Amino acid sequence: MRSFIDMQSKKRLRAAFLCFLICLLLVIGKLFHVQIIKHEWLKEKAEENWDIEIPFGAMRGNITDRSGKLIVGNKLAPTLYFMPAQNPDISSDIPAIAKILKMPPETLEEKLNKKTYMVKLAPEGKNITKEQGDEITKLQVAGLYVGVDFVRHYPYDDLLARLIGFTGYDGDGLAGIEYAYDEILNGTGDKVRLFTDAKGIALPHVEDSFEHGKDGLNLELTIDLKMHQIVERELIQAMEKYDATQALAIIMNPKTGELLSLASVPGFDPREYQSADSTIYNRNLPVWMTYEPGSTFKILTLAASLEEDVIDLENENFYDPGYKVVANARLRCWKREGHKDQTFLEVVENSCNPGFITMGQRLGSERLDRYIREFGFGSSTESGIAGESKGILFSKEAFGPVEQATTSFGQGISVTPIQQVQAVAAAINGGKLYKPYIVKSIKDSEGKTLKEFEPELKRQVISEETSAKVRHALESVVANGSGRNAFADGLRIGGKTGTAQKVENGRYKDGDYIVSFIGFAPADDPELLVYLAIDSPKNSIQFGGVIAAPIVGRIIEEIAPIANIERRKEQLEKEYRWGDAITFRSPDLLGMNEKELLSQNYTFKVKWHGKGKKVIRQLPAPHTLMTVEDTIHLYTE
Amino acid sequence: MRTLERTYRIIFLTTALLLSLIGLVFVQSAGSYWGEVHYQDSSPFIVKQGIYMVISLAVAYVLVKSPLTSHPKFWTYCYIASTLMLVAVLIPGVGAVRNGSQSWIALGPISLQPAEFVKVALLGKLASGMKKHKEKSWQWQHFAWILLPATLIMLQPDLGSAVIMIVSAFVILFLAGYPLSFFIFLFVSGLGAFIALILAAPYRLDRIKSYVDPWNDPLGTGFQSIQSLFAIAPGGLFGHGFGNSRQKFLYLPEPQNDFIFSIIAEEIGFIGAASIVLLFILLFASAFGIAIRLNNWNSFLIVTGMVSMITFQTFLNMGVVSGLLPVTGVTLPFISYGGSSLLTTWLAVGTILHYSANKRAG
Repeated sequence: MRSFIDMQSKKRLRAAFLCFLICLLLVIGKLFHVQIIKHEWLKEKAEENWDIEIPFGAMRGNITDRSGKLIVGNKLAPTLYFMPAQNPDISSDIPAIAKILKMPPETLEEKLNKKTYMVKLAPEGKNITKEQGDEITKLQVAGLYVGVDFVRHYPYDDLLARLIGFTGYDGDGLAGIEYAYDEILNGTGDKVRLFTDAKGIALPHVEDSFEHGKDGLNLELTIDLKMHQIVERELIQAMEKYDATQALAIIMNPKTGELLSLASVPGFDPREYQSADSTIYNRNLPVWMTYEPGSTFKILTLAASLEEDVIDLENENFYDPGYKVVANARLRCWKREGHKDQTFLEVVENSCNPGFITMGQRLGSERLDRYIREFGFGSSTESGIAGESKGILFSKEAFGPVEQATTSFGQGISVTPIQQVQAVAAAINGGKLYKPYIVKSIKDSEGKTLKEFEPELKRQVISEETSAKVRHALESVVANGSGRNAFADGLRIGGKTGTAQKVENGRYKDGDYIVSFIGFAPADDPELLVYLAIDSPKNSIQFGGVIAAPIVGRIIEEIAPIANIERRKEQLEKEYRWGDAITFRSPDLLGMNEKELLSQNYTFKVKWHGKGKKVIRQLPAPHTLMTVEDTIHLYTE
Repeated sequence: MRTLERTYRIIFLTTALLLSLIGLVFVQSAGSYWGEVHYQDSSPFIVKQGIYMVISLAVAYVLVKSPLTSHPKFWTYCYIASTLMLVAVLIPGVGAVRNGSQSWIALGPISLQPAEFVKVALLGKLASGMKKHKEKSWQWQHFAWILLPATLIMLQPDLGSAVIMIVSAFVILFLAGYPLSFFIFLFVSGLGAFIALILAAPYRLDRIKSYVDPWNDPLGTGFQSIQSLFAIAPGGLFGHGFGNSRQKFLYLPEPQNDFIFSIIAEEIGFIGAASIVLLFILLFASAFGIAIRLNNWNSFLIVTGMVSMITFQTFLNMGVVSGLLPVTGVTLPFISYGGSSLLTTWLAVGTILHYSANKRAG
């Protein structure tokens, strides 16, 4: 066809056509870029833009004891949400709402009139009671939502508080087990996703979507609530009786490392943690506190010496003049006049310091240090409990003869209660060092076990035979020696007292002692290991064997039936016959001051008279026959 | 060859009708919620758009059939009338301000946007009076005709309409044989004008900034870009399905209007949106196919001028919506809600059909 249009215009038309084509193809390219390539990134951003969610409080996992008894659960405590766009005339309902929430109407009005999509009515409307929530629901206020929310519920109030810890305002674990296992306990709450327009008005004909959250997982602890209740009761009583600053106790199954009780007093109310002292809720004493263990540590010196065969308990004698000179330092026995001639078994019974120094010397610094570390001192037990300390041992360079000597009887080093329990458990259970653990299993909300924690053997420290000797020696400490106040008939309790002076800023602190006792039962096959320590007992000044030992004895007597321990027919009999009063000769305390007296391991009660420091007279006089029930009266200037 | 031309005409008309119907459907989907919220007391957008469509088709039909359309004087009267309307818009009391621009004349229940009509009138006037002889194509009055309405439109201000009008008018000048050096000069001076315009009105600089990075000021200048992307991107390949847009719920302002293509891309996805772009390509390709076969110089220029206007406006709208171009308020031909816009588009369609049917020897 002969075209009317000239070539130049045709060319230009094609050029224009091409330009437009390219332009529109560019649009397709850009659409591809936005819709396909940037799809995910922009979609996420868009969803953030759309999402108006009413978060429902998550169901945090329960914490139960070993038998499933609830220690911490959840209680319904609704939280209020308000969407201002859905109700522009809220004013008329404000007085009624304010009344239910017990807040000033003006404050409420101010909060509800915020220019946002959604107002979370906090703190007044956060975690209100179920009854308040019901009343609000009855008001039928448009745009006001009563969201499901929970608060922690403590059926036993402050029991175990310092172990369990607490959750904060938003339900996150802030201390203790709640903190350490927060990820496991944490649930993701349900969500109601509201379909609204840009102003927050609910869209017609669109169902709000409900998103199910995930409940938190439940923690089953190794704790035995019944045993723990007994322990906490005893600790609280002791605190009152002796006006102590704090006290702690651990019960462990020495065969597995399971912690049956882990107690610290004073406790606090986890619901009111804001008003509690942070030194209370941040310090779970059995794992946090470090101090000189004192004589309880001698068990480990004994175990090492027996394992290395450097002493013979029954056939070897040791003479204690009341002191021992080590590298020009005169280290004294707690009994000033000394224990004189005794077997090594009696050294243990008497808790004779020079005897233990000798054991340490025979082991030598290298072996002593090795055993101490193998028994788990100087490093965390890795119990998984929040806030565990490592303690302090002498470094190899600083481990001179004097340090070695004091370490042998438990001075100059710093350890945690749980380290002591871990170590003594190994010493008496056949030599196996088990990792202490507190969580028995993790279960889902339906009760299905997701993870079961098994005893974890760290290493064999001493042999079964050595361990048997240690058990025997410690049983005789209770039957015949410084631990006699812990004796319970038929339970074959073994144990060791400890008294340690507190150290502050590298110096011994005058008048502040930690008295302790570690006991186990039955000695032929230990199933329970109980450690108890009382910090700074006052009122009547007494000794570890007097304060701590009888409490541990009572605790073991009470918890033995729970652990199904049968009373034995055969046991190491107490030196006296059943029903007889224990008699002994009163020691010579003349010229002693309070500090000297306290660092000793006597098992009798004393009462001070007068304002002076040194004893100038004592009643009954030294070497008088007296019973364990009697009190020695000390008179000062 | 007659059959091929016929085929092009059929493709052109069918595409235009199809796009209008798609527009009608999406005006309903995109605008129903906005309408419910903002215009509770008036009839739904789809009813009004339906009425506009009937009017537009009727007027287009008259344009196709009326011998007046062929007459150059007709276009001169149209040009004078619409330019006078542009003046009227600027008179307080007559012109109404919407979205910061004084672009509307309200006559009782009807409101008109003269800037829309003046585009068609100018192109008609320009193309129908263009001489065939190349050496005489250069005429100073061409620029006067273009610049008068362009200036009036910029006083409103309505940059989008002005740009569309100028670009499509220059396509006519280009095809009419204006020297290339002129267009090169134009390009350079246009760049200068662009910078001058930006310097004159700082809000345009903000628009450029938010074009480069809309997240810079997501609640201010970048707001529309971002909200448009929030519609388009989640649509993905297949879209949320018809009627399932999320952004139309007041997130994207006036979703039935300038940003209707965002909602389309959101609801029918990349596949659907790209198909609509292809329909527009089909539309202008068929019109160019018609134009190149015409044996009348002025018809050739009118057809290409009109279709260039539609196509460039399409590109401008989609470019803005998809983030390719900085935000400028222009409607999407055939599809966006609005009587003036739809009528103008169909005036162009009617004119194209008229000139492609009534080939005069000349």
